[in-house]
Amino acid sequence: MMEAVSLVGQLSGRAGALMNSSEELIARARRGEDEAFRLIFDRYGRPIISFIYDMVGRRDLAEELTQETFVRAYKNLKALRDDTKLSTWLFGIAKNVARESLRYKHRETDKIAIDDDHVIELSDGKRPPDSELLDKELNGVIRDALGALDEDKRLVFTLKIFQQRSYEEISEITGSSIPKLKTDLHRARAEMRRRIQPYLGASFGS
Amino acid sequence: MKCEECRTLIEDHVDGALGEKAEAVVNTHIAGCSQCADFREGFIREQAIYASYERDVDLTPMLWSSIETRIKQERATEGPGLLARLREQVLGTFAAPRLSPALTFALVLIAIAITVVVMTRMNSRRDDSQLADNNRNAPAVDAPGSNDEKQAPPVTSGGERGGDVGGTKGPSAPTQNTVKVNTARKPAVAAAMPTPAQLVREAEQKYVAAIAMLSRDVNRKRPQLDPIMLARFDSALSDIDRTIKDTRRVVRENPEDPIALQYLLAAYSKKVDVLRGMSASTD
Repeated sequence: MMEAVSLVGQLSGRAGALMNSSEELIARARRGEDEAFRLIFDRYGRPIISFIYDMVGRRDLAEELTQETFVRAYKNLKALRDDTKLSTWLFGIAKNVARESLRYKHRETDKIAIDDDHVIELSDGKRPPDSELLDKELNGVIRDALGALDEDKRLVFTLKIFQQRSYEEISEITGSSIPKLKTDLHRARAEMRRRIQPYLGASFGS
Repeated sequence: MKCEECRTLIEDHVDGALGEKAEAVVNTHIAGCSQCADFREGFIREQAIYASYERDVDLTPMLWSSIETRIKQERATEGPGLLARLREQVLGTFAAPRLSPALTFALVLIAIAITVVVMTRMNSRRDDSQLADNNRNAPAVDAPGSNDEKQAPPVTSGGERGGDVGGTKGPSAPTQNTVKVNTARKPAVAAAMPTPAQLVREAEQKYVAAIAMLSRDVNRKRPQLDPIMLARFDSALSDIDRTIKDTRRVVRENPEDPIALQYLLAAYSKKVDVLRGMSASTD
């Protein structure tokens, strides 16, 4: 009896896991089940919107582009060849959507516009590093520094440092070689470090 | 291993991207070198700072509902051309249950009025250009008797002298029976008359200004709005914005297309109404 209960438990557990696996969700979404695509959005929406926000620097635009990313993903689900790489594929679409938007924006202005209310100028880098204000200030500095990176560096920095993607995944997402990614990341880190230097302490990076 | 070599590997070391062998070598070096150990600590502090980075952005239920709406639209409108899709979007927006019949009727009336104005303008422009052609082809001195359509003599037609240059009388009569035209004045009048596209641009600017003011007001009042109501309003606004965007694209491609111009203005008008509704619901 106990064995039967245990077996049922194992089976239902496995079924539950399968129900929620990316492959299963993709298969269900391809069959037209909206709920499955909703689960995909629930799972990947947050990293995707964060990634896009880091790329474009504006909340309203990030929301719009996330919407566009998932609509494109839905329309092209059949084109996804390896179902185990859903996340990489979604980031690839998000990267394209963000780049298209940036190119359009570059025609209007050369500099990435960061939400004005988020940018707080560093008036004195040597102030004592405590308080909530400092966190806010640091967030503003990081956002500002990201916006100042060129597109390739921002892309690799965001994917590697914030999204914790491996070089292999980033290479698939961006289409760049790993040595180029490493070079871009190294330079991006150096530029970012220069800007957040006051928050790092004296012994590093100087 | 020298310190310089070690430092070139520290990034990969911190990223966990070093091979087993290199990892062991770096660890051994760091264990005996306080400067490289400090250097690594710096990297780790840097990573910690990035890890604590907070973005002012998050998923909202509205985002999913916008995606869902668009997916449904994509599914429903797979196949037809852009104008057909636009028509469905606009009609869908008008047919939404949140619109009262009176408002829908008013919007339809506005749309009809705009169409009439735009069509009238376009017809009168066409007449003007035909008149101009006739005048160009006509002899400098009136030469009655010729029935050649291209060189038809200007025939004075009683009270119609001067023509409907402002386009206010609607589509005018064919030009072979046309009025005698003051050829010196006509081009100046035609040049002063705005084109439908100019009229639409003017109206668009007014709508945009009104929308900006209303949006500011609505944003102030957002916290007071019922969340369900707010979600519905936002969904409506998102539909309208999409319609505006698509219609503007069509207008850019066909600046004189009266249907596209009509849809564009109707969409702006609808947005103003929805924003007014949002603003009024908190009063």
